[in-house]
Amino acid sequence: MKVLATYNIKGGVGKTATAVNLAHVAAAHGNRVLVWDLDPQGAATFYFRVKPKVKGGGKAIVRGSLELGDAIKATDFDNLDLVPADFSYRHLDLWLDDAKKPLARIRRALRQVSDEYDYVFLDCPPSISLTSESVFRAADALLVPTIPTTLSLRTYEQLDRFVEENPDMVRELKILGFFSMVDRHKRLHRRFMNELRTAHPELLEATIPNSTDIERMGVHREPVGAYGKGSKPARAYEALWSEIQTRL
Amino acid sequence: MSKVRRYEVTAAGDFASVLAVLTDHLDLRLLSLDEGERSWLDTPTGTLERAETTLEFRRPSGEGTPSLTWATEGRVLVFDPCVSSTPPVYSSDLPDSSAFARLAALVDGGELVLGPTVNSQIAVLACLDDEEKTTARVIFDRSETLDGLALPMMLEVVPLRGYEDEAAALEKSLKRSVALSVSAASMKELAQQGVSTGLDGAALVPAMSAARAWRAVFQTLTDSMTQSFSGVLSGNDPEDLHAFRVAVRRIRTILQDGNDVVDPESRDRFRHEYRWLGDVTTPTRDADVHLIEFPELAATLPPSRREDLASFNEVLLRHRADSHAAMVTELRSIRRAEFGTAWLAFLADDDAWTGCADLADEPVLRIVLRRIEKANRQLVKNGRKIAKKSPAIALHELRKEGKRLRYLLECFAPLFDEKALSVILRPLRDLQDVLGEFQDTEVQANALLELAGELEGADDHSALMAIGGVIEQLGVRSADARSSFSKTFGRFDDRKVQRAIDQLEPRKKKR
Repeated sequence: MKVLATYNIKGGVGKTATAVNLAHVAAAHGNRVLVWDLDPQGAATFYFRVKPKVKGGGKAIVRGSLELGDAIKATDFDNLDLVPADFSYRHLDLWLDDAKKPLARIRRALRQVSDEYDYVFLDCPPSISLTSESVFRAADALLVPTIPTTLSLRTYEQLDRFVEENPDMVRELKILGFFSMVDRHKRLHRRFMNELRTAHPELLEATIPNSTDIERMGVHREPVGAYGKGSKPARAYEALWSEIQTRL
Repeated sequence: MSKVRRYEVTAAGDFASVLAVLTDHLDLRLLSLDEGERSWLDTPTGTLERAETTLEFRRPSGEGTPSLTWATEGRVLVFDPCVSSTPPVYSSDLPDSSAFARLAALVDGGELVLGPTVNSQIAVLACLDDEEKTTARVIFDRSETLDGLALPMMLEVVPLRGYEDEAAALEKSLKRSVALSVSAASMKELAQQGVSTGLDGAALVPAMSAARAWRAVFQTLTDSMTQSFSGVLSGNDPEDLHAFRVAVRRIRTILQDGNDVVDPESRDRFRHEYRWLGDVTTPTRDADVHLIEFPELAATLPPSRREDLASFNEVLLRHRADSHAAMVTELRSIRRAEFGTAWLAFLADDDAWTGCADLADEPVLRIVLRRIEKANRQLVKNGRKIAKKSPAIALHELRKEGKRLRYLLECFAPLFDEKALSVILRPLRDLQDVLGEFQDTEVQANALLELAGELEGADDHSALMAIGGVIEQLGVRSADARSSFSKTFGRFDDRKVQRAIDQLEPRKKKR
């Protein structure tokens, strides 16, 4: 089982869209996929039409008194399951802080379902906190959607630095950055992409366009590939998934 | 892991009508509806079956590419919608993907052999919650073997993980609306065994027990009813409703004459329900008859008057549409579904037919001949009482008695001497035609009179006059039928025919 976390310190960069769409692509290829929505906003949960509630409470999962498997809900798509968000996840940092070995909590919870899934996508809230550190410890790779703007560049480099400075914490963690919400008509986007690629050649080639098709996920409440099969963004997520697999 | 629940659909009705109940009554959303040939694949040693998983190769009818589906417990593990036109033979022939790689590993490089092949109609439906999220899937499957043996229709409820309570609630609703019985076998297993619907009706032979013979007759009639059911719902061809009603009436008659042969409690219950079923279809059949016969009746009017009937024809069409809609509502009701389930369960239950009544184990020929003699006696006795001034009701009652005799003779026909049967049936059918013409023209005249009141604009005098002409014509036909009764009845109440009643028992062949 590979654990992939969609992560960025900055919000509004397309983390949830990435988790939901890549999970859908991976499942459509016959992989057994789980999405764990760790963001109390519950956007991934909303996209899958699941009610944002963990029976027994999110705290119980973190504490280990509730099996992760008991919180899993199947989505409408074959091979694609979800651990829904719970508004109580806003206290996740506090629960972890109270727990013994907080950084191992998410990894330990995931171990319970390791035989059931090929890929787990963790949709993380934006921040660098105990929650993110626990996610870093659990994940095999961080998928970092990055908008080609100055602020995004700054946050990508912050993350890069954090990983470099904490080698024990992140161990084998791979950082897979890619450009998201790209508008190729904007000269600034093109310029930043060129500069960033020069500075960070490890960035993935595949890019996700800024598209109303992706924005419409909120209307359709399903992944782009479900209602816009063959559309430009659907093809972009296919290409991204294909490239991610070669890097894992 | 949520387990799939498997049921055999025992409701009377075809695929389309049961599907209509699922979508219209239970509000399930139809996700896909596929038709075509499908084969199950496995290794020669049954590796996939042991792993409780299935691999299906489907070839859709019409255009479309073949597909390969690997599934476990109703959940699709991997689906490839576009594979080669022939099923894979080796694991290396499987499509190239990580999921099929898992299947290849399971097969372990072995050969894949073609298992049973069937022609199927498969509907996949979703049960949705208030967020329009699927909580359970329903797979409704009607298949037949390549040589045309219909397999029982199957319905699988596939609970989605985390929604077990919702799936349980759905199952309850399903059981209330569709006749179901729990099935231990999957469609693949049924196809392997070539298990039929069990409604083929065993051949009637004089020595078989009365209960067994009654049951076989019911099975044949139920089959006939089932075959016409979707046509009744669609309403496209009046012949479907006619065939359906004939089967219903015959079942009622055979139930009526099933005293001391059929379990008394079941007999009472089903007689009551079949009467209801007949009643709910009567207005539509009457409306069909009006529409079928109206052009012929109108043709008896002078050409100048025929055009006046155009607006009335509209009334007839509207009336027919309303009647049909009301009938469909009843036929899709929970009452009919429950009654259909109970009826099929009754037919399928061996225990319900063993020692169920005093004469159940008697040879059928003896019992049925006794019933025929009684029905004949009654018909002859009451027919002889009919005089020129007898009320119409007396002829209607006689018609019912004639039907009873005719249905007994026709439903158990294989038991009888062919020649004797033919001698009886010919004049009996003529008599029924005359009595039918008398009753139908009367009913039709009354109905047309009533419907004439629905003409828009009470001042449509020309239409009313024309209808009056049609009703007059019906009156003439009614009078003709009545006047020919005596002669037609006489041909039935003839010594030769009456002697044939005693000769129905097949003569033993001389050695």
